[in-house]
Amino acid sequence: MMPGDPETEVLAAWRFHHSLTGIGTRNESTVYMGTSVSTQLPPRADGPALRRAPGFYMAAATGHISRRYYVWAGAGYERYASLGVDHPSNSLLGSLVLGWRPAFLNKEYPGADCRFFWETTGENVDSAWRSAAAPAGAGHHGVPAPLPAANSSGIIVLPNTGGRGVYSGPTFLYTHRNVALQIGALLAAWRDPNGIQPSERFRAVVVVSYFFLGGRK
Amino acid sequence: MKFSARSALRGLILVLLLLATEPARTEYLRIQLRVYGLDCEICARGVSASIGRLAGVEGVKISLESGMLDIALARRNNLKLSDLRRRVRENGFRPREATVTAVGRFNGSRFEVLGVGESYDLGGRAPQSPAPGPVEVTFNVR
Repeated sequence: MMPGDPETEVLAAWRFHHSLTGIGTRNESTVYMGTSVSTQLPPRADGPALRRAPGFYMAAATGHISRRYYVWAGAGYERYASLGVDHPSNSLLGSLVLGWRPAFLNKEYPGADCRFFWETTGENVDSAWRSAAAPAGAGHHGVPAPLPAANSSGIIVLPNTGGRGVYSGPTFLYTHRNVALQIGALLAAWRDPNGIQPSERFRAVVVVSYFFLGGRK
Repeated sequence: MKFSARSALRGLILVLLLLATEPARTEYLRIQLRVYGLDCEICARGVSASIGRLAGVEGVKISLESGMLDIALARRNNLKLSDLRRRVRENGFRPREATVTAVGRFNGSRFEVLGVGESYDLGGRAPQSPAPGPVEVTFNVR
């Protein structure tokens, strides 16, 4: 699952179910728990950028794996803590990934392994909010734009934050020896942002992984 | 003459001592084990590395298409088939049937692999009048 905003995260995974159904074939389900911190906070016209706060992430994915095809479906929820006066947007994600290893790339071990995936991710991102007690500050244009009134809890739901969207696109995975290279892009298939937000036409991912395969002693 | 007899006796005692202290061992020479769930190169590499660390393993070849592990073993190794199956399970995969080449003795229709107690009923494949010493046999294990 490819998130929208850049962040640093620490993730733990537990494969709580797997059934090995045939040669090169298995079904498995995994839960993920983690914490994250945004690394890039977008500027705001109505005041200073939101303060960083830790997010807590929980997700589950289940899938079918074979030598030729892959199917995964997953969902996750990320909730941010409220440190001080700001609360970044919580988000709910759902994802479907289809994978294919073409016959001409179906190499025997220890040859390189190549696979293609198509990922579709839908997300529902809540609005961020700020306490009415927050000190006023200049926006990125120097003059703060007016904020909506606070609700009875003293909270101002920030306009132009959150929304819904569906992103879809290809990913290529190459593994050889202990190294894996993943390159992918998600294109915006549908977007319904709250208010006016910068256009997000695509998301790109490049992942390089190294596997420590010393083997179990 | 007296000296030679004493030397021969010493030699005999030494041989007996060596035989008595020889560690228990099994004599699997080659195991071809089918494994369920291996789908990619990284999976195969992990399993290969893990099995390669077992004492007595000389080489591991893996076919992803057939799901077959082909394991060559050194003479006088201590590896049991059950150890190998356990190692495959520990890596997250499922061991299935195997074709085994081993040295052992027949006891009726049972073939006892030399060393520590793994034996297999070979049924009609067992010879009518088995040789008294160890023999090398290739057979399938479910």
